[in-house]
Amino acid sequence: MLKKVAITGVGIASALGVGREATLTALRERRTGIAPMRYLNTLHTEFPVGEVKLSNEEMMRALGIPESQATTRTSIMGMVAVREALEHAQIQGKSGLRVALISGTTVGGMDKSEQYYLDFLENDTKNAYIAMHNCGACTEMIADYFGIFSTVQTISTACSSSANAIMLGAMLIADGRADVVVSGGSECLTKFHLNGFNTLMILDREQCKPFDARRAGLNLGEGAAYVVLEAEETLRRRSVKPLCLLSGYANTCDAYHQTTSSPDGEGAYLSMAKALNVAQLAPKDVSYINAHGTGTENNDLSEGRAIQRIFGEEAPPVSSTKSFTGHTTSAAGGVEAVISILALQHNFIPVNLNFASPMPELEFTPAIDETPRTPLRHVLSNSFGFGGNETSLIFSSL
Amino acid sequence: MSKVNDIYILAAKQISVQPPLTDEWMDAPVSYGKPYVRSIDPDYKLYFEPNAARRLGKILKRALVTSRQVTAAIGDAKLDAIVTATGLGCIENTELFLDTLARKGEMEAMLKPTHFMHSTHNTIGSLIAIDVRCHGYNSTYAHKATSFECALTDVFVQLESNRIQTALVGAHDEMTPTHFTMLKRTGYLGHAVNGFSGEVALSMMLATTPKESTLCRLRGVEVEYCPNDEALRQMLNRLLQRAQCSWEEIDNVMVGVSGQQANDQIYAGICPALFPGKKLLRYKHLFGESYTASGLGIYAAAVCLSQQRIPAHLFVDRESGEQRGVKHILLYNQLEGKNHSFILLSACGK
Repeated sequence: MLKKVAITGVGIASALGVGREATLTALRERRTGIAPMRYLNTLHTEFPVGEVKLSNEEMMRALGIPESQATTRTSIMGMVAVREALEHAQIQGKSGLRVALISGTTVGGMDKSEQYYLDFLENDTKNAYIAMHNCGACTEMIADYFGIFSTVQTISTACSSSANAIMLGAMLIADGRADVVVSGGSECLTKFHLNGFNTLMILDREQCKPFDARRAGLNLGEGAAYVVLEAEETLRRRSVKPLCLLSGYANTCDAYHQTTSSPDGEGAYLSMAKALNVAQLAPKDVSYINAHGTGTENNDLSEGRAIQRIFGEEAPPVSSTKSFTGHTTSAAGGVEAVISILALQHNFIPVNLNFASPMPELEFTPAIDETPRTPLRHVLSNSFGFGGNETSLIFSSL
Repeated sequence: MSKVNDIYILAAKQISVQPPLTDEWMDAPVSYGKPYVRSIDPDYKLYFEPNAARRLGKILKRALVTSRQVTAAIGDAKLDAIVTATGLGCIENTELFLDTLARKGEMEAMLKPTHFMHSTHNTIGSLIAIDVRCHGYNSTYAHKATSFECALTDVFVQLESNRIQTALVGAHDEMTPTHFTMLKRTGYLGHAVNGFSGEVALSMMLATTPKESTLCRLRGVEVEYCPNDEALRQMLNRLLQRAQCSWEEIDNVMVGVSGQQANDQIYAGICPALFPGKKLLRYKHLFGESYTASGLGIYAAAVCLSQQRIPAHLFVDRESGEQRGVKHILLYNQLEGKNHSFILLSACGK
């Protein structure tokens, strides 16, 4: 049997604000972070987005980094969230522990690459940013800010990247390869992927409406979020109390199409079923599902059918908090892990905003009431990516 | 410690700057006297319908062909996992989209959805999954020069603990002329003495049960970020201890020297102290430098273990002749003194 892994800290920066307190308040007050474009330099201002409402310079000042330092928005947001997670878990400086950082990202340093692309080709003025284009370099800039990580890895499975980072963290701890793992992901908005999603015609010009018959696509968001994972022995060594447990995880592949989910949600079905199996839980044990729920025609139908295949007529409350944060792509697994953990800690259901019309194909409608039917014990969080990279995580109270 | 599974490399196939899908480089290595070399592609007409061949970028065609050739090695067994390493992902498609954005602006009519769809790093692993119909574990690592070692760690942990029994591991990077120009500006590529920038497509089948075709055993993998001398030594000791392999048993250490002087000097500072008395081997003189070149290093070492010989051209000290009989090869790679990794391979039955 796999060892259960404890979670001792969380850190988050998203459209809902910086920090777990701001996130919790916005969720409970039903205040979305999706708003007209303010920071991304694009012509496509018709799309509402979930931006972190701070400029790079503001975040760098807060971190004590000179504004002249070359870096990327993905790295800066990552530092903000990792700092909170480490403080929350009471990990400071060199601790004698083997601490790993596993971060998910896909755009990496694309914000600078798209800004300086012609310079990269023609002159030497922006060379510092060339080396930051790749995903690993962005993770290393986060790691170097803290200087405490002996293992640093980057996962890039598009919109399930940070969920896979959390799953890998659990496996490395079970294998004894690290005492503590800070797992999650960071992704800033870029013109590159905003235009990319636009060519796929899956962006809603209004606020996204997950699991609603009128849904017309997703709103992109950005953010960074990390959880601190550790084994029970490490908890005892450090005399700290966990927030909750990561009790189940699974990664599967839909193996259907590059950007479309299979009609019956086979990959999603398999990832949820396997995660339940790892956690040794029955479907009825799940108190709340934080769905991938992008708000696209295809995802919500495919995921909804997969949920019904597993949970039958007694599906627990299901919601998509992308109606608050936007789709934070590679960071989504981390952002939604933190939201799931907050739900467990404060015993509430983060509601699904903008719901009005039930989907005729589904038996269930998304949760609009934050009061749980029974106290929250186990929360299932789904993150699905392009290419059918599907990951499900289960967080359990102590 | 409870009993853990042994891990075998059942098959490995490459498309690189050496003749594709063969081990001919063992006896007839191709040399290049230029800094930028692209892979020798097989005739894709033999593998794809014309439509698919046009639609798929080079990195994807190479990944699919090499994957198909190794999946047969598990016979009737189920493929449990596909784990991919790529430093830069599908950089050609990324560039096509980026170039249009930079030159034409955000004009919807000019931007092609296929370039975007096929730009993400996980396009490779997910297309392989669709191609071989595998619903199992699927992940992608993109961490500079340790991308491949991270992928290998993931499957190693899962195979050893019996979460999975078979895994297809890949190392895939393409290098476009444009990206080569950019990385030349940073000093990473294009400045090597007797070295060059290469491309990588390597697919390797790992399993917990050996087959007739088995090349060698994978005994361990360790990856660390910025270890100091002491931590590097501990890392090596941890690898040997876990593998229950003594230092005396190891004759050869394969290292990632590439001709790029600044990086080779870091090897020169570390190797004599860490590997005294061991014969050093190299592989980047054959395959060139790239973020996932170390995948081709493990492939080269696996072929040597399988054929029980190390050709003379692999020795850093060129005075050595061909070595017959080889039990273990330790691989050590590092980039910029930051990303360090060790891998231990052993001949079957050793």
